[in-house]
Amino acid sequence: MVAPVLSLKWRSTLHSMRRDWWRVLVLVSGVIWSITLVPSVWFAQRVLSYQHPDLKTDALVATASVLVLGWCVVPLLLTGLDDTLEPTRFASLGVSARRLMPGMTVAAFLTVPALFFLAAMLVLALAWEPEPWPALPVALAGAGLTVAVMVMSARVAVGWGTRVLGSRRARLVALAAGAVIIAALAPAAVLLFRDGLELVLDYDVPVLISSLGATPIASGMAAPHAAADGDLLGVAWRLALPAAWVVLLHGAWRASVAHALVHPRQRGGGERRRDDRILATQARSERWDATLARVPGPLGVAARRVRARAAAPPAARAVRSRALRAWASDPRYLSAGVGAMVFPLLFFAVVMPSLGLATWWAYAVPLLLAASIGWGRHNDVAYDSTAMWLDLVSGRRGHAVMRGRVEATLAWAVPAVLAACVLAVLATGEWALAPGLVGAAIGALGATVGVSAVMAVAMPYRAPQPGSNPFTAEVGSLGAGLAAQVVSSFASAAIAPLVTVPFVLGVIVRPAWAGVSAVTGPVLGVAAVVLAVRVSGTLYDSRSGRLLGAVA
Amino acid sequence: MAVTPALTLAGLRKVFGATVAVDRVDLEIPQGSFYGVVGPNGAGKTTTLSMATGLLVPDAGTVHVHGVDLWRDPEAAKPLLGVLPDGLHSFDRLTGSELISYAGLLRGMHRDVVEQRRDDLLAALDLDSAGRTLVSDYSAGMTKKVALACALVHAPRVLVLDEPFEAVDPVSAGAIRRILASFVEGGGTVVMSSHVMALVERLCDRVAIVGSGRVLAHGTLDEVRAGADLEERFVALVGDVADQRDLTWLRRS
Repeated sequence: MVAPVLSLKWRSTLHSMRRDWWRVLVLVSGVIWSITLVPSVWFAQRVLSYQHPDLKTDALVATASVLVLGWCVVPLLLTGLDDTLEPTRFASLGVSARRLMPGMTVAAFLTVPALFFLAAMLVLALAWEPEPWPALPVALAGAGLTVAVMVMSARVAVGWGTRVLGSRRARLVALAAGAVIIAALAPAAVLLFRDGLELVLDYDVPVLISSLGATPIASGMAAPHAAADGDLLGVAWRLALPAAWVVLLHGAWRASVAHALVHPRQRGGGERRRDDRILATQARSERWDATLARVPGPLGVAARRVRARAAAPPAARAVRSRALRAWASDPRYLSAGVGAMVFPLLFFAVVMPSLGLATWWAYAVPLLLAASIGWGRHNDVAYDSTAMWLDLVSGRRGHAVMRGRVEATLAWAVPAVLAACVLAVLATGEWALAPGLVGAAIGALGATVGVSAVMAVAMPYRAPQPGSNPFTAEVGSLGAGLAAQVVSSFASAAIAPLVTVPFVLGVIVRPAWAGVSAVTGPVLGVAAVVLAVRVSGTLYDSRSGRLLGAVA
Repeated sequence: MAVTPALTLAGLRKVFGATVAVDRVDLEIPQGSFYGVVGPNGAGKTTTLSMATGLLVPDAGTVHVHGVDLWRDPEAAKPLLGVLPDGLHSFDRLTGSELISYAGLLRGMHRDVVEQRRDDLLAALDLDSAGRTLVSDYSAGMTKKVALACALVHAPRVLVLDEPFEAVDPVSAGAIRRILASFVEGGGTVVMSSHVMALVERLCDRVAIVGSGRVLAHGTLDEVRAGADLEERFVALVGDVADQRDLTWLRRS
């Protein structure tokens, strides 16, 4: 069934390109990018071919390892780009995985990235030409096997990733993913901080490369060295290892396709019982009101007045409870939450030590975290594409809806940003700057959350549907999404300095400036949020007849 | 003086790209009627009902609910409407009872009232045992029922229901029919779209047949039927399958 599957892939790709212009753009720019890389790959090959076999091996093993890692991670982030051969789509046709797999396998290798990397790895293998026979043929075979490992790893990663994220244990998975990222970065960071970049490059990286050369990930790239030395046994096991690994991965992929064929995503069957938290939150707030009503004297009057002004009205409170439930249990929100932490964490654990930045750069971490959480909410409204009709038919509820949403985000973002502030000050030891840092971070959070709230109503684009893979880009969303992302990035970048500049001056010029940001940050942050809720709420009401069409 | 109609659609029009989905629809739905909107797939029923309920802004035309302009004054018009859209889910991370409470609070109702009506609705729609289960775990029919409960919780005067009986089992369908019938008896108005002619004939006293974005016939059930049965009239108006080919190869003998 190779031909039908291939022609199906070809047809659906063609049709989806006709429908969505940006797909052509992605394909064409991919091809152009690949072609522009050819001279540099060829150049690298020429340079490598004059080097000592040890260096050739190290360079090729390192390249292959990085590429395999990339092949595992990138498809998980970009699954929306090519879903033509999504196994679940074959479920209703009654085709067995056994008959499907040959076609799927060939199709997996006939993609632009697979062909490009195959060509690139084969070109790089030519660097073994000057070495004694049979180094060159072994190098070519090893390169081919390594590309097969890449392609198969990507399929297995996507299959398992989709399956895991579709499960009820998505919350655990998101936490585990966060823990794994931290666990993977921590040793690297510790090494980098302790030894500095040069020592790590001199001692630890070579050890890592030589051990990778003995694993199926890159042993194919180490095989030609053994061939050049006449170590035929070494060649045999170094080629057999990736070959066996490809067979194993193919088996795993086939198993996940077979699983997908008989496990359609479905509703029903779950038995999780919960009490009505929406009304309970309401009741709790009424109890607060009752308690405050009993406080005597001017204190009571003042407290009641503050509460009357600051507390959310019941409708906004209902929206907030609902959104908080989503933050706690919806895989799409969970992965967004984890995703917002990744960049600041990478900056702290990898960028800072490897560039040898001074410790005061740690102050950037809470600011980055605040900005990435805030910016990440720029398509917030679209996440409820299939449910927002309930908000829309309930009347002019824009202010309540936007206030509830923003409050739910802030409910976890403020503690997270404060924790990052504490960590940053622990790293630098300058407690005098702490209030200024907290002020600036709160200000940055408020400003970016505010920008995102307005953007989410002004320029929404299609988001993954409830219950779907949170990493999927919805078909047709990339063009609109790109525009919205660019605009919200610019808007955030224009507003964020207003709150962070005094603190930066406090670090660089005189500490007194940090005191200014301790005041201006929270004031501007709160003002930005309040203003954004007003503006976005009004916009929500005036666009209410278009919102559903824009996101559903 | 004539009584204000419950729902008036005048000159409604919606164009998606090159497709005219709804082409100048005029309908007057009297108070206290049980109004059926029937039409073939892609006739523009859902688009029309979306514009009539404030979910989709029309390109032209007006919608009045009990005399209030829906698109000019949504704050006054939307509380009069209860809406059940088709093909849309609801907040699936809430439980059934939470979803009803949410709808009630969003409508600005007091907590005690919401709580009492929520329990009434769960019982009336046979969702008692499912009230504490997440909506994401509901079957299609249960999702429909809980969405209907959300449409009813604020006691609207006009109910607009898109395919309310789709995927609903016969027992629940009976319960829904009883609720709707007593709603109309109490002076309310129901507008519902459906593919099932028998159901429309059984429930509705007025019908509109729409096709290709236009109203092809409307009036009381008897006027529209004109002596025939509704299905025959429907097929006569929208046109039958052009090429009624016999699939002889399906026969075994």
